[in-house]
Amino acid sequence: MAAVEPHPIRLVVEDDLARSRLTVFFRLLLAIPHLIWITLWTIAMVLIAIVNWFAVLLTGRLPGGLHDFTAAYVRYTTHLNAYLYLAANPYPGFLGTPGSYPIDARIEEPERQSRWKTAFRIFLALPALLLMTTLVGAGGGGGGGGGGGGTTGDTDFGSEAAWGAGGTASAVFVAAILAWFAILARGYAPVGLRDLAAYGLRYAAQTFGYVLLLTDRYPNVDPREPPATQPTPEKPVRLRVEDDLRRSRLTVFFRLLLAIPHFVWLFLWGIAVFLALIVGWFATLATGRLPDALHRFFSAYLRYEIHVFAFVLLVANPFPGFTGTPGSYPVDVEIGPREPQNRWKTLFRLFLAIPAALLNSALSGPLYVAAFLGWFASLALARMPESLRNLGAYVLRYSAQFYAYLYLLTDSYPYSGPAEYVEPEVALEPVPTWPDAPPEPSF
Amino acid sequence: MARRPTRALLLGALFLLAVGLVAGWSLSAWALWQTEVPDGLDPLTVPDSEILSPDLLDEARSYETFLRVLFLVSLVVVIVALALYARFGGRFVRESAAGRIGTGMLLGMLGLAFLWIVDIPFGLAALWWERRHDVSELDYGTWLAENWLALGGEFLFVCLALLVVMGLAGPLRDWWWIPGGAVFVALALLFTFVSPYLLPAQVDAPPDVVAETRSLAEEQDVGEIDVRVADVDSYESPNAAAAGLGPTRRIVVWDTLLESFGDDEVRVVLAHEVGHHSREHLWKSVAWYALFAFPGAFLIAWTTRRRGGMREPTAVPLALLVFVALQTVALPAQNAITRNLEAEADWVALETTEDPDAARDLFAGFSEQGLIDPSPPTWAYALMETHPAIAERIAMAEAWELRAGR
Ligand SMILES: [Zn+2]
Repeated sequence: MAAVEPHPIRLVVEDDLARSRLTVFFRLLLAIPHLIWITLWTIAMVLIAIVNWFAVLLTGRLPGGLHDFTAAYVRYTTHLNAYLYLAANPYPGFLGTPGSYPIDARIEEPERQSRWKTAFRIFLALPALLLMTTLVGAGGGGGGGGGGGGTTGDTDFGSEAAWGAGGTASAVFVAAILAWFAILARGYAPVGLRDLAAYGLRYAAQTFGYVLLLTDRYPNVDPREPPATQPTPEKPVRLRVEDDLRRSRLTVFFRLLLAIPHFVWLFLWGIAVFLALIVGWFATLATGRLPDALHRFFSAYLRYEIHVFAFVLLVANPFPGFTGTPGSYPVDVEIGPREPQNRWKTLFRLFLAIPAALLNSALSGPLYVAAFLGWFASLALARMPESLRNLGAYVLRYSAQFYAYLYLLTDSYPYSGPAEYVEPEVALEPVPTWPDAPPEPSF
Repeated sequence: MARRPTRALLLGALFLLAVGLVAGWSLSAWALWQTEVPDGLDPLTVPDSEILSPDLLDEARSYETFLRVLFLVSLVVVIVALALYARFGGRFVRESAAGRIGTGMLLGMLGLAFLWIVDIPFGLAALWWERRHDVSELDYGTWLAENWLALGGEFLFVCLALLVVMGLAGPLRDWWWIPGGAVFVALALLFTFVSPYLLPAQVDAPPDVVAETRSLAEEQDVGEIDVRVADVDSYESPNAAAAGLGPTRRIVVWDTLLESFGDDEVRVVLAHEVGHHSREHLWKSVAWYALFAFPGAFLIAWTTRRRGGMREPTAVPLALLVFVALQTVALPAQNAITRNLEAEADWVALETTEDPDAARDLFAGFSEQGLIDPSPPTWAYALMETHPAIAERIAMAEAWELRAGR
């Protein structure tokens, strides 16, 4: 992926995962002054956004003063959302000062913008807003319940485009709820959940930058940005992606129907898997290991599931086989060998899997939206946009790890972080490493 | 030297086998063709003008002519499209990561998808025409959505069929058609058996319809037959169906029929449907299916040999073409067979109800409401009509009346 200009809005993560239990417990209440302030600021921002629109339409670029005001607003919402979503620890300032917060939006100086893209900006932004709604949340109602305020930062803009949000919790919102419990228990934030929140905040900042006319560069939903700040924990279940992004228009158009025999087979095979799981659970509890035959049986089913999902959701192109043969599909699950498992984790597997199940279902929102948007893109271009494919691959990787955990293939918990680890010297902005990062922060 | 006689012997045996098969086939077909309709029934002709008013007759004729032409053109286009697909469809193999059978399924489904696209304009034109003549009130969006779902059903069906064929062709090579034909006949039997549960939304029939069906069933000497009412859209033409075998035997009457006809006419319909059951028409249909399934399967196996036979996914597009072509060729024969059974059911209904006037009113009513041409041209009759023409059915009622000496 060389020679692509970096997006003018980037996220800098300098958070060390340390959290104060007290401020986490009361975070929503502590944020009340900010929630009042953001409401006022948002009202002003709506008016300024209209001015921005005329200014860019007339002059082709955003004048400095308006740019600074808008950039400060985007930074401030990023700081505040990071605080609310538990992606950072300290209490944020009220002005959105650059570099003042461990999770910061870095926004470049104004550039020339295309007048066409400006004139139709709000319509062009609809796909991005739709993705952002499912990924981060759209407004006060999006999250529901006590944590609903967590998305207040975007209320006014979000709600204009909140169609489709329909009561389901966004992925980052669910990650925040899970992080809340984890932090209260352990005193630091799980790195995967923090990185998921950072990814969502980065996408939200780019989407707001686009809607508020800071830039005409389209927000990029590729989950590899921002890069992870720590090495991704080794997991026995990995996703191997060898997809070349090419898509056949005919099979894309009929994809859902073409998958019908697979759905039938998935269902029938699933019944057998369900019955075998009961046997497998007792056996693993008794012997401490899943019997080899069952390990192979569940592995094949898991691979098959992911092959079918990858096909239906346009993460890969070809029609998958029916047997879940390893290496038979461009998006494949690599499953480690059978290993001894912790008996406690086996005994309570169903309960332990609940948080991952919640996150898995919340992540299906962005996954389906990416497939929906990718469907049109693939029909038009005979190619799947890489960022949408990567989003799909990320969610499928999480699903594969989740189902592997549920199917007793491993007792290693699914890892929620979206980005692969990149060596710091390759990163655009060198990020300080924190020597006191807690050990094994996998979640 | 010893080979010659053996070879001649083998050829002779094969010839005898072929003759035996043809004779057996013909004998079975002849036996299945026999009905209770008396031979030499007076070939009365009923002028169309006695069935429909001149205006309605004109409308029905022009209405049906358009649909007939559409049918012919779409048939030609479908065959051409399938020929193209048979030629080029093999390319889609590269869109598959599945094994032999899975790839065959993909090619089968894509072939149907291709046909679906090609057929859309014809379907839309037919719907437009039906709406124009108030025969249908379906809106285009619903039609498209229903069509889309129906394609999903076809996909499932073709996958099942290919699973059977390609699964058997793996070990058996070109001989799959013998057990394959048997499996398809068994599936047809199963499908006929469960078909009562696949018909549209059904509710309990009114008591008088239940009582009437019971007395008709008694009169025709068949056991208990369940009767239900299908709750269909108000614009759907009046209809009824006999479905099921043995314990699942059932009659389903469209609610539009009960709404638009009087008790006597409904009684004729019920007697006709009970007649299908009492004369074992559903068993006979399965038997006819068997008579066509084996030769059809053999011809598909034979024509696809050049592409490696049905074990190869690339043979599937060709098999699809052969299948549809065979079906088209067999269409006149198949229509003649169903018309033969329908005529018997009509006759049984006349014998049981002894009410030719009601039968006449019923058929004339069908013609009027569905804008049905009472006597279609021969080619359309052969290719499209699964029931005797309205004029024929009314003529039969009058012939019955003459015989009964009234
Ligand atoms: Zn009938």
